[in-house]
Amino acid sequence: MSAPVHERQNPAFYALMTALIVMSLGPIVLMLSNSFKLNVDIMSDTSSLLFLPTLKNYETVLCNTLWYTPKHVEYCNPTFGWALGNSLIIAIISTAITLVTGCMAAYAIVRFRFLGRGSLSMTTLLMRMVPPAVLLVPVFGIWTFNYCWGDECLDGTYTGIILVYVAMNLPFVIWILQSFIVQVPIQLEEAARMDGANPFQVFYLVLLPVIKPGLAAASIFTFRIAWNEFLLADALLDRKTRTVPVTIVNSLTEHDIDWGVIMATGTLLAIPPIIFTFVASKQIIIGMTAGAVKG
Amino acid sequence: MPNIVFEKVEKSYGAVQVLPPLDLSIDDGEFTVLVGPSGCGKSTTLRILAGLENLSGGEIYFDERPISALAPKERDVAMVFQDYALYPHMNIARNMSFALRLQRVPAAEINKKVRGVAEMLNIAHLLERKPAELSGGQRQRVAMGRALVRDASTFLFDEPLSNLDAKLRAKMRIELAEMRNALDKNMVYVTHDQIEAMTLGDRIVVMSEGVIQQQGSPEELFTRPANKFVAGFISSPTMNFFDGELVLEKDVLWARGTGFLLQISPEQTQRLNGHAQRNVSVGVRPSAFSSDPAVGSPIELELVVSEYLGAQSVLVTRCGGKDILVEIEGRAPGTAGTVMTFGVPQKDIMLFDQESGGRL
Repeated sequence: MSAPVHERQNPAFYALMTALIVMSLGPIVLMLSNSFKLNVDIMSDTSSLLFLPTLKNYETVLCNTLWYTPKHVEYCNPTFGWALGNSLIIAIISTAITLVTGCMAAYAIVRFRFLGRGSLSMTTLLMRMVPPAVLLVPVFGIWTFNYCWGDECLDGTYTGIILVYVAMNLPFVIWILQSFIVQVPIQLEEAARMDGANPFQVFYLVLLPVIKPGLAAASIFTFRIAWNEFLLADALLDRKTRTVPVTIVNSLTEHDIDWGVIMATGTLLAIPPIIFTFVASKQIIIGMTAGAVKG
Repeated sequence: MPNIVFEKVEKSYGAVQVLPPLDLSIDDGEFTVLVGPSGCGKSTTLRILAGLENLSGGEIYFDERPISALAPKERDVAMVFQDYALYPHMNIARNMSFALRLQRVPAAEINKKVRGVAEMLNIAHLLERKPAELSGGQRQRVAMGRALVRDASTFLFDEPLSNLDAKLRAKMRIELAEMRNALDKNMVYVTHDQIEAMTLGDRIVVMSEGVIQQQGSPEELFTRPANKFVAGFISSPTMNFFDGELVLEKDVLWARGTGFLLQISPEQTQRLNGHAQRNVSVGVRPSAFSSDPAVGSPIELELVVSEYLGAQSVLVTRCGGKDILVEIEGRAPGTAGTVMTFGVPQKDIMLFDQESGGRL
C-alpha cells in the first residue's frame, strides 16, 4: 500500500486561502490585541504588535463587578456590567421562548392536518420578508403608546424587546424544525402510542430527543440574532435595559472615544455566543435517527 | 386473552374505500396470519385493530366489549413494526422498558422483566447499546422484545421479517414459531409471504382487495382452496392453471384444451355431471406431476428452463403457449427443447370456474 498521494495545489489557491483567513481573522485579532493596550499604544504610529499588555481596559469595563477598586479608574461607570447582564437575560429568555413555542408550532404544522395548514406555514415566513428597520417605527409607536399599564409602557422593558425578538426569530425556528421533524419516521410516534404514551409524552419523550440537533442549530441562530441585534434594541430599550451592542455605540461620544474600553467590551461581547455555540454544537451529531427504522 | 371480533369493519379515505365491510373473528390464544399481496388491506386491518387508524364503519369487539373508540394504550395490545421503529436516542434496555416506565412500574420489576425477555431473545448482551450499533436481525429482536416485555393480551406483527435477508428470515421464522408455542397469547401476524403464513399460523386469513378470500388452517387452505386466488397464492412454486373446457364422453368427464386432455376422477365426475361444456381452469400443483406417464393422464411438456435447487429442480415448461411449472426430484432429464411426458394424477386436479374463479 502506498501512501495517499496529495494533489499539488495551484499557488494561487494558497494565496486565496491566506487572504480569506486574514480577512476573517484580522478584525478579531485587532480587537483582541487592542483590548490589551493603553490608548497611547493604540494611537501610536509605531509597531502595533509590540506593546506591554495590560488588563486596565477590562478593569474599567467590569469595575462595578470586581471585588477591588482598580486604582486607575476615577469614576466607575456601571453601564457595561449592567448591559452585559441585560444582554444575557434578553438573549436567553427570548431564545427559550422561541424554541419552546417554535418546536410545538413546527410539530403541529408537520403532523396535523387542518384547514389552512399550507398558508399558515407560508405566512410564518412573511415576518422574515420585511427588514427589521421597517418594523421599527410601528413597533416603537405601539410599544410606547398602546401597551401601557399605568405609567409603565412596553418600551424600555425586557418584555417588550423579548416579544419582538421572539416574533422575529419564530418563523426561522419553525422552518428549521419543520425540516427536522419531517425526517422523523412516523412509525416512531406510532410505536410510542402503542407503548401507551399520550400525545405529550410522544412529543417530549420521543420526538424532541430525536430532533435535538435541530433544536441546537435553531438555538444557536436565535441566540446570536438576539445577542447581536442593534437597531430595535437601540430604539426600544432605555438606559436601564440597554444591551451591550447599544452601549458600545453609545460610548462613542463627541468628547471622548475610549478605544481600549470599546475593544475590551467587544471582546467580552464575543465570549458568550462562543461558549453557547460550543455547548449547543455538541448536540449536533449527524445521523440523528440512525437505527430507528430500516433504511 | 380476548376473543376478537370484527363486525362489518370498513375503512375509506375520502371517497376511496380501501376496506369493504369485513367480518372476522379471532379466537382466544390463536395465532392468526393475515396474508395477501401488497395493497390487499391486511396492514390496514391490523392498524385498525391496533388503534392507529380509525375505522369508518362497523365495530371491533374484544370479548364483546366495543373498542373502536379506545386509544391504543387502552386496548392492551403490543405491536411489532415492519421497520422496527426503535427509539434511536435510547439504549436497548430503555427501548424495551419504555412502556413499563410510562406505566410507572417499579424499577426493580422493570429490570427483571427486561432481563428475562432479553435472555429469551438472546439480546441480553446488547442492553447497553444504542439501536444504531445493532444489525438488522438484532434490531428485529429488540423490536419483538419491546412488545413482549409488556405482557399484553394481544400481539400484533406487521410484516416483522420482511426487512431481513433470506437466511435470517428463515431463522427468525423458526424462533417465532418456537415463541408462539411458548406463549399463550393472541397473535395477529401480517405478511405477504405465504411460507411465513403456512409455518406460523394456526389459522390463515387470505385477503385480496380488502376481501377475505378464505380462512382456515394451513392444511385446509392447501388441500381445499376455495377459489383460484387462494390456490395460486398458497404454496410455492405457485399452482399451474390450464384453460379449457369440460367434456363428457361415455360417462367419463375430461378437461380438454390446447395441448392437454386430462381425465377427471369419478367422484368429481359425479359431482360435475351437469357442467359439461363449461369453461374451466384446471389447477395442478407443480409437485403433483409424476414422472411416470402411466399415472393418471399423460401430458407432453416442452422444457424451457430448468432451475436446479439441489434436491429438486423446478422446470419451466411450455404447453399450448402457456408456462407450466413442474417440480421434480434431482436434475432435469433433458436440455431446453426436450419434450417430456408427465402423468397428472386424478386426485391432484382441481377445477375452477373460469369467470368467477370459484372452486367447482
